Amino acid sequence: MCLGIPGRIVEMHDTQGLPMGVVDFGGVRREVCLAYVKDEIKPGDYAIVHVGFAISKVDETEAKRTFEVLREMSQLDELDWMKDLLP
Amino acid sequence: MKYLSEYRDPKVARALVAEIKHTATRRWVLMEVCGGQTHTIVKQGLDELLGEAVEMVHGPGCPVCVTPLEQIDKALALAARPDVIFTSFGDMLRVPGSDCDLLQVRARGGAVRIVYSPLDALELARKHPDKEVVFFAVGFETTAPANAMAVWRAKELGLKNFSVLVSHVTVPPAMTALLESADNRVQGFLAAGHVCTIMGWTEYEPIAAKYKVPIVVTGFEPLDILEGMLLAVRQLEEGRHEVENQYVRSVRRDGNQPAQDLVSRVFELVDRNWRGIGPIPRSGLGVRAEFAEFDAERRFAGVESIRTAEPAICRAGDVLRGVLKPFDCPAFGAACTPEHPLGAPMVSSEGACAAYYNYGRFRSGSAV
Repeated sequence: MCLGIPGRIVEMHDTQGLPMGVVDFGGVRREVCLAYVKDEIKPGDYAIVHVGFAISKVDETEAKRTFEVLREMSQLDELDWMKDLLP
Repeated sequence: MKYLSEYRDPKVARALVAEIKHTATRRWVLMEVCGGQTHTIVKQGLDELLGEAVEMVHGPGCPVCVTPLEQIDKALALAARPDVIFTSFGDMLRVPGSDCDLLQVRARGGAVRIVYSPLDALELARKHPDKEVVFFAVGFETTAPANAMAVWRAKELGLKNFSVLVSHVTVPPAMTALLESADNRVQGFLAAGHVCTIMGWTEYEPIAAKYKVPIVVTGFEPLDILEGMLLAVRQLEEGRHEVENQYVRSVRRDGNQPAQDLVSRVFELVDRNWRGIGPIPRSGLGVRAEFAEFDAERRFAGVESIRTAEPAICRAGDVLRGVLKPFDCPAFGAACTPEHPLGAPMVSSEGACAAYYNYGRFRSGSAV
């Protein structure tokens, strides 16, 4: 349950005072809260995302590798939920 | 993909396995804390590859598994109320309570919704001002910042119909409780990478020193875990007991400070019951008094006083403490299966019992 999925920050914005952003997870995009990493990331960076919150910045190589490994291991259940919940 | 093929190069895994076997002069008992790591270890058969050098004991690091029956019963009571939309991460829906589970409450007409993020629950509350939206806030330190933010935002936005049923637990007190128990066999730990992404590892330093156990902060991919095992075995062989960080790509010593700050503003340390383990002092998080209106237990009359005893038939407690392997439980695979789970470790795919069942571990060394 503590699984974190790496994604690429596509854009950053502010929703009623809360730092939010759009994050791309291998083609699936979702709104993610960036409050806990806002001082260290910018669009184009990669972050590990857990239950809709970015929790740490990771480098691109690591992020892509981890994502593919997760896909291989069928550990991307969280992404399936995201698809269901996308508008 | 380049990085994948590099990663999947079995030579690296083989080299790590050979190095662990070469380093170990005896069989060491290690515990992986995180349920995600348990899943990887059993699925990939890492423990069986290393049988002579390392025995892996599967720790209590699955929040679904350690949420006490009492909190599940409180969730069921809330979800059955006609004025409530009960929201939860998906993996809590099949956890059996005393009479039924959340899925059955939904089948009987209860409004039970799966959300991906606690902020989605907050959004539901905004869209349904005529309903009470309750979010089941479970998890370890990894999830606490997200759940704390939901409460913080609810207050900031002046929401009057949002609350959380909290069953948050923290890792270090559980490790200490295990190390203090008379039947403890664990000699070293692989600490959970994403818990430490939030908390860092300073809390583990006094534990490593006091109990003389190596603690290696470890990621959850197969190669991470093999490397974590190697670092722990090296320490044990050399008589060292330090905190080491294998998961350097995500974890810093001090963790994520803004996340820790918000967690401590919204939550405070409380005593918690762990399913199958029992009460552990100051091992969980509860809502601070200043946010009491967002605490479902204080908000809804009668919920706080629900008390439930754990069933005796399920040996989940012994499995979670690492005293019993899942296949040694008389109910395993017979009365208790993922379709009809008796205990929580059979419900969650991260639970030790479900991992053993799904990957064919019906007796020692029986992976198919």
